[in-house]
Amino acid sequence: MNPRRAAVDGRNAFVYRPTASPQAAASWTPRQIAMTNLRTVLGRAYPRVSGLFRERSWVFFEILLPFLSTSAFVFVYRALQAPPQYIGFVVLGGAMTAFWLNVIWMMAQQLWWEKSQGNLELYFAAPMNIMAVLFGMAFGGFVMSSTRAAAVLVIATTVYGVSFSVDQWALLIAVFLLTLAALYGLGMVLASLFLMWGREAWHLTQLLVEPVYFVSGLNFPIARLGVLGSVAISILPLAVGLDAMRQLAFAGSAYPVGTPPPLVEALMLVVMVVVFLVLSRWALAALERRARQEGTLSVRWQ
Amino acid sequence: MSGPPAAAPASSPLSSDGLGSPRWGGFDPARTRGRGWRDLRRSFATAARLGWQMEANWTDPILFFIYSVAKPVAAALILVVMLEVISGGARPEYRAFVVVGSALWAFVLSGVSGLAWTILDDRERYRMLRYVYVSPSEFLVVLLGRGVARLGVGAMGASITLAFGVLLLGVPFDPTRIDWPLLLVVLILGVTAVLAIGLILAAICMQTRQESWSYPEAAGGALFLISGVVFPLAVLPGPVQAIGLVTPLTWWIEGIRRSLFPGSITAIGGPGGLFTGLTGASNPTASQIVLALLLTGAVATLAAAVVFRASDRRAKDRGLFDQTTGS
Repeated sequence: MNPRRAAVDGRNAFVYRPTASPQAAASWTPRQIAMTNLRTVLGRAYPRVSGLFRERSWVFFEILLPFLSTSAFVFVYRALQAPPQYIGFVVLGGAMTAFWLNVIWMMAQQLWWEKSQGNLELYFAAPMNIMAVLFGMAFGGFVMSSTRAAAVLVIATTVYGVSFSVDQWALLIAVFLLTLAALYGLGMVLASLFLMWGREAWHLTQLLVEPVYFVSGLNFPIARLGVLGSVAISILPLAVGLDAMRQLAFAGSAYPVGTPPPLVEALMLVVMVVVFLVLSRWALAALERRARQEGTLSVRWQ
Repeated sequence: MSGPPAAAPASSPLSSDGLGSPRWGGFDPARTRGRGWRDLRRSFATAARLGWQMEANWTDPILFFIYSVAKPVAAALILVVMLEVISGGARPEYRAFVVVGSALWAFVLSGVSGLAWTILDDRERYRMLRYVYVSPSEFLVVLLGRGVARLGVGAMGASITLAFGVLLLGVPFDPTRIDWPLLLVVLILGVTAVLAIGLILAAICMQTRQESWSYPEAAGGALFLISGVVFPLAVLPGPVQAIGLVTPLTWWIEGIRRSLFPGSITAIGGPGGLFTGLTGASNPTASQIVLALLLTGAVATLAAAVVFRASDRRAKDRGLFDQTTGS
């Protein structure tokens, strides 16, 4: 818009329609709110997506090296002369770790990191919904992690000759998307909790890597864990999503019984998505209220 | 700030030249030229203490203990369950092999990531790297001190995982059979090699953006493949075995296994192994392990020094010590 024209008819960068008073200008229409939040989502996702093209070292460190890490577990099974589908389990698990690592490093820890950087107070002061910031982080993180997950999946499948046997493509895709939605929903909940726990966030991030891999059955069928596996399936999206995807992607393979069928696990994921989104909204509101009361929004490094 | 100025001490070499400060006892030339080893030792000790405080003192001790131990124990349990799923407990010697390997790997990962995370912590989070760099302390010494603190955390996790393996997972351990001289030698050489690899990653992280938090772990994952940590090198293709044999970590882990658990499966030799093909021996002797560790460790240390110096120069040239990034 021409600034001179805008000034003449009462509009400016912050008000897209003429208003009679500052109070009226502050009263946004639903369209204005929606567009601002949409711009927030895109704006927050932008640095994560554009970062992929600005520094290429991630191709080596986040695709080639994780592929080698996944390969180590493939060779463990080879050393044990395991049936071929177990190699496929490892490859699928290796691809999904990209999303989990992204959720804990760049979702769960992010608000605390933003607070340490001095950005969090700006987020809260800006005329947008903080949930839009979290959605933007999730979307950008999803794009980042998808490239890594897809690369690991394609390269490892080709190199190790993994053959998938899929009967229900639609359900497999639905389970994959639901798993991601639930994972990033959990990340949004953790973002608020980590912000509250402050400096402990760093240690908690560490705590959520190998132990979660273990209870999620990253490299083996989770049914082998018995009660521990059942508990993990009921609370961890990674566990339930991986189990469902394995059942669907290796339909003809002998698979240890003891976990629910994929359709039931898909429904569990739907419940998780709803619960995590509601929880994250509540946690953010509670946290914001508490931080405003205690004046800790801008306190760094604690 | 009142009262008569103190006289410069008679022992001050410059007091007679009039350069002595009335307030702090005279100009001390050592403040500009440094005190050699004394300064280095003090910088190292201070950095190590600071690193330990940053790791441990700011956290809930119970949480700190859990996170230090849960990570390596869970890593070992993943492999134990993989083993149980396939062999059904029929290969107890291999279970001991994977438990010991994954416990030692916790130590390696701490050492490898410690130095790189120090760079990222100080540059991106606390934004102190520039001040640390321009302080009179030798930057490399400060970095190594901070890295040693994280190595301490890793050593604690590795020890507890080994104890967990011995007590709960049936890893055979006889304290009377420990080869102490071998253990001591490979520990010293191994720590040097681990820190050298960590220094290379720190040099890389000097050049990269904030997302490089995961780079040390990614590099660790790749080394995990070629170091004979949880499976014998013989299952790898020949060229990959060759890369594994020139990696100091392979020899370090073999040395620790040999000294603490004599008679355990070898990761280096065995049927189909490149080492056996080249030497005709089924597994390396203790002296071969020490010699190989010494040579590969020396190469890694030299490479680390060269890479670090080059990265340091480039970082100064491009102002990277001041850089903070976002994502």
